[in-house]
Amino acid sequence: MSTATETLGAWEDLAGAAALSHQRMDLDAAQLEQYWRRCSLSADFWSRYTALFVPGDAPRGRLSQNNLAHVLSYLLNELFENCAKFSDGPIRTVRYECVVRPDDLVFTLTNHIAPERQPGFARFVGELLSADLEALYIQRLEESVESGAGGSGLGYLTLMKDYGIRFGFGFAPAAEGSVAVTVQAHVQLEEH
Amino acid sequence: MTTDQIRGDEYQVEYDSGSSTVRFQGTVRLQTTDDYAPVNELLLRAHDAAAGGQLSLDFRQLQFLNSSGISMVSKFVIGARKRDQVRLTVLGNRDIYWQQKSLGNLQKLWPNVQIEIL
Ligand SMILES: Nc1ncnc2c1ncn2[C@@H]1O[C@H](COP(=O)(O)OP(=O)(O)OP(=O)(O)O)[C@@H](O)[C@H]1O
Ligand SMILES: [Mg+2]
Repeated sequence: MSTATETLGAWEDLAGAAALSHQRMDLDAAQLEQYWRRCSLSADFWSRYTALFVPGDAPRGRLSQNNLAHVLSYLLNELFENCAKFSDGPIRTVRYECVVRPDDLVFTLTNHIAPERQPGFARFVGELLSADLEALYIQRLEESVESGAGGSGLGYLTLMKDYGIRFGFGFAPAAEGSVAVTVQAHVQLEEH
Repeated sequence: MTTDQIRGDEYQVEYDSGSSTVRFQGTVRLQTTDDYAPVNELLLRAHDAAAGGQLSLDFRQLQFLNSSGISMVSKFVIGARKRDQVRLTVLGNRDIYWQQKSLGNLQKLWPNVQIEIL
């Protein structure tokens, strides 16, 4: 990624990182939105594929293959859904990448948005990264019941609060006046 | 006894008036709030039918629920707390990881909710 990337949270430069496995797949955001179940299918495929790296009966304190597959399916489905829902502007490519290491997995999803969307998303992320997650979770839900608003905004919150997943976010200028949004999810194989 | 149900490609949600239970099965990862409206309406009908008594939400056969679905169920629980007309029990399955991790959140929204992870 170019040096012009502006990053927030748990960001790691993975270029050339040593790993047991590197995975990559390109998808189309408009098609993910149209054929919605592709989000779930892609999440299930990569979660089960990746979970085979860990043993079925993990040592105490480490995620078992089943539980890892389960967490990853929830995580990746949320990330693919977000790429499908929030991609905006002329570039519709969604890139999935994963780096598997002995103690952690890093998933990187990149999609594109129009520049005017960046400040709102960055503000959301800033709040998320500095908040008391339990309090923010309750507050979001109580507020959305009061306001009757449709959206939920619970995706990243549940992943961080309930599964201990750490996130990094990158914003970089891309072709055709777009902004490339990169979301990194760091999953520890030690159980949360 | 009546049953009221919604079926999708990968899921089923049904209300069984005999046991006053809403049972979720399969994988529920719907796209929009509008897509969730029928499930929400089924929950509200079950709530009204159970008023004055108890209502169970049975998730034991629900493999996955996305965050939009968690949000819908959570808002239903807050609504039930505000009306305070039913005793709510939530049934979970300890072998399904998200239920171990996330079902307890419902009790934080309404301490009277009884959670049984079996
Ligand atoms: N990949 C992305 N590209 C652009 N904006 C994003 C992306 N992911 C998230 N956002 C922004 O961040 C907000 C929070 O995302 P999050 O997944 O936590 O909640 P949500 O998708 O709105 O609701 P939920 O996931 O609970 O159904 C979104 O509403 C959106 O504005
Ligand atoms: Mg989301």
